[in-house]
Amino acid sequence: MSEMAVTPIEKSSPEARDELPATSRPWLEQIWLDTIGRATAKLGLVWIAIITAVAVFAPFIANSFPILAKIDGRWSSPLLHYITPADVTLIAVSAIALALWPFKRVGFRVKCLSIAGSAVIISIVTLIVIHPPKAEVFDRYRTLAKEGRLEKAIYAPIPYSANDRLRDQFKVDNPHPRAPSREHLAGTNPNGADVLSHLIHACRIAMAVGFISTSISMLIGVIIGGLMGYYASWVDLLGMRLVEIFGSMPTMFLLIMFVAAFPDYRSIYLIMAIIGVVSWTGDARFVRAEFLKLRHQDFVQAAIASGLPLRSVLFRHILPNALAPLLVSASFGIAGAILLESTLSFLGLGIPLGEASWGQLLTDAVGSGGSFKWWLAIYPGLAIFLTVLAYNLIGEAIRDALDPKLRKRD
Amino acid sequence: MRWIPNFESEIELPDPLLQIENLDIGFETARGLVRPVREVSLSIYPGQTVAVVGESGCGKSVTAMSILRLLPSPPSKVLGGSIRFAGQDLLRYTERQMQAVRGRDIAMIFQEPMTSLNPVYTIGDQIAEAVVLHQKVGYREALQIAEQSLRDVGIADPHRRLREYPHEMSGGMRQRIMIAMALSCKPKLLIADEPTTALDVTIQAQILELLRKIQRQTGMAIMLITHDLGVVAENADVVAVMYASRIVETATVEELFDHPKHPYTQGLFRSIPKIGVTSKRLETIPGTVPNPTRFPVGCKFHTRCDKMNGDPLCTTVEPLLREVSPGHWASCHHVEKFADSPVTPPQLEHKRETDLSAVGEVKA
Repeated sequence: MSEMAVTPIEKSSPEARDELPATSRPWLEQIWLDTIGRATAKLGLVWIAIITAVAVFAPFIANSFPILAKIDGRWSSPLLHYITPADVTLIAVSAIALALWPFKRVGFRVKCLSIAGSAVIISIVTLIVIHPPKAEVFDRYRTLAKEGRLEKAIYAPIPYSANDRLRDQFKVDNPHPRAPSREHLAGTNPNGADVLSHLIHACRIAMAVGFISTSISMLIGVIIGGLMGYYASWVDLLGMRLVEIFGSMPTMFLLIMFVAAFPDYRSIYLIMAIIGVVSWTGDARFVRAEFLKLRHQDFVQAAIASGLPLRSVLFRHILPNALAPLLVSASFGIAGAILLESTLSFLGLGIPLGEASWGQLLTDAVGSGGSFKWWLAIYPGLAIFLTVLAYNLIGEAIRDALDPKLRKRD
Repeated sequence: MRWIPNFESEIELPDPLLQIENLDIGFETARGLVRPVREVSLSIYPGQTVAVVGESGCGKSVTAMSILRLLPSPPSKVLGGSIRFAGQDLLRYTERQMQAVRGRDIAMIFQEPMTSLNPVYTIGDQIAEAVVLHQKVGYREALQIAEQSLRDVGIADPHRRLREYPHEMSGGMRQRIMIAMALSCKPKLLIADEPTTALDVTIQAQILELLRKIQRQTGMAIMLITHDLGVVAENADVVAVMYASRIVETATVEELFDHPKHPYTQGLFRSIPKIGVTSKRLETIPGTVPNPTRFPVGCKFHTRCDKMNGDPLCTTVEPLLREVSPGHWASCHHVEKFADSPVTPPQLEHKRETDLSAVGEVKA
């Protein structure tokens, strides 16, 4: 007791700081550590990291063009010649992200902003600077090799592009699709394209569909849900009716209808936008519930009492505290969007023909040929299954980490 | 029975910093209109500490929140009265005008320091945000101001503390930080809503002493809301006792503690344990505070009053605040000469004599 009375308000030795129990970290950080502490979440994250890396470096992993080629005694890089602005942007931005990550002094917000900013700048620059040839003549280097002009060539690990149809490579009596062989590890599809290459290039579509549509739905959900939760009363009443209206729309049929009604506007970005615009209701409900809870919290009252404008109270003081449950819905949302796009592509309504998508490969498994082509079902099916499972595992782990009843006492 | 402003007396006195007149607050609930604050009149002068005392649910916090217009509306609404701050009626201000008053002219500290700081931001960020807003300075300069105000409230190594998160600090430190935050914009009035209730006794004393020191240095006024009479006795210049939505007694701290007139105040004093007096049981006021949806008719205290003795006046006519002796207002039919006393707004400019030797200087 006497010790308490004379204890200065403060013990600030660095040793004392290190003794802090694990639970006294910032909340979001704690949730994050709890999440990745789970084996299932680790598996999910590893799979997503692999898919992301594959998506970013897809042209270097599977490409019909040689990385380096010596033609008529001169070295050149056909792969770089055909590289698109999107490829360069993706690689450059992920390089910047990886380079920034280890710096602890740089705040999370600064990191995100600088990555987003560099993405915009790099994509504009690459669009201006890089003009790949419109027509990709895949057979050119094969012809050159036959003629003996291609003296040396270094190919990517899988020397086939996703849309390289290989029409002339096989004889008529041995048509496509072909079962897996040493040349084509996952076989070919009815067009003669390499399935493994297709799988690799389709990672991009899968990731893009997941992230872009979920970002759109989160953005709408946060704004509408935030306003509902903060203002309550009639704003809430109106917003909830809006949520119910949008919630009652079957996304799948809306997409099918849209694709059927406007066949000319078929584009993957449109599909992402529709998925996003229709599926924000879950996010809005989450955010609303959090805002309803948080708006009466003391720190929110204190923020209002110190004269901060509504914008700051809503988005600086309430939103970051409402984010964690949103992460759960986001990771399930990404999984749902990937599944939806695969379904659409399977039905032949998804991305335009000629682009690589997992769902499109599935279609070919039972396609025109009549018999079931197992390699066209198993590999893309596995890719969809594992990716959706990975996102679900992460979502599950975040949900468990958020649940105080499940959290270990330490 | 509303009091008519006595202009002559107003001319004699300097302007109060904050003058609440006949404030009526209502809450629309499912069971009808509840009125947690009725005809509350209160004046706070610059440099003064006014304590508002009362049990839970008597309306003291609602009064405080309504000054900064922090009550959610709906369900709350102002039924009448005015809150004049430096001559301007805050109740007529737009939300944007209120934002300029909040934090800059009137700051508030809350009861619960553990939850009053945003867990996702560092201390520096939180203090600097309000400073940037109100003092129109850059972020870097705001951090320096934040550092200085942390130093002012006696936090060691403030430079490092700025980068720390609220969870890294104890309750007493967080309350200091709340005070630093409130003081960083040099408010003219600080509303302290039970600032020490959640803290243990030693920290309580430190925090109150800190508030006194800062008040002496800056000359700001403090509205101290508490249910702790010990805190009142040590800190307040003027006391207003609230019971069931009304102020039932108000006087200078010395007058009130020496001559409590209202039976409720007297009951409160009797229920403080006294050192050196042996008694089997601590005396209490029988009964509980009436439910605001069903206040009794007549004097709201009559259900628990020991002075009533079946007086029909108490159960029918509600006594309103009158100046029963110079500088002492009370609302009880059984106070001497209550019926003949004038109905005037309570205005007490009193400041207690402070024993300056007892309190040391704030650590630099």
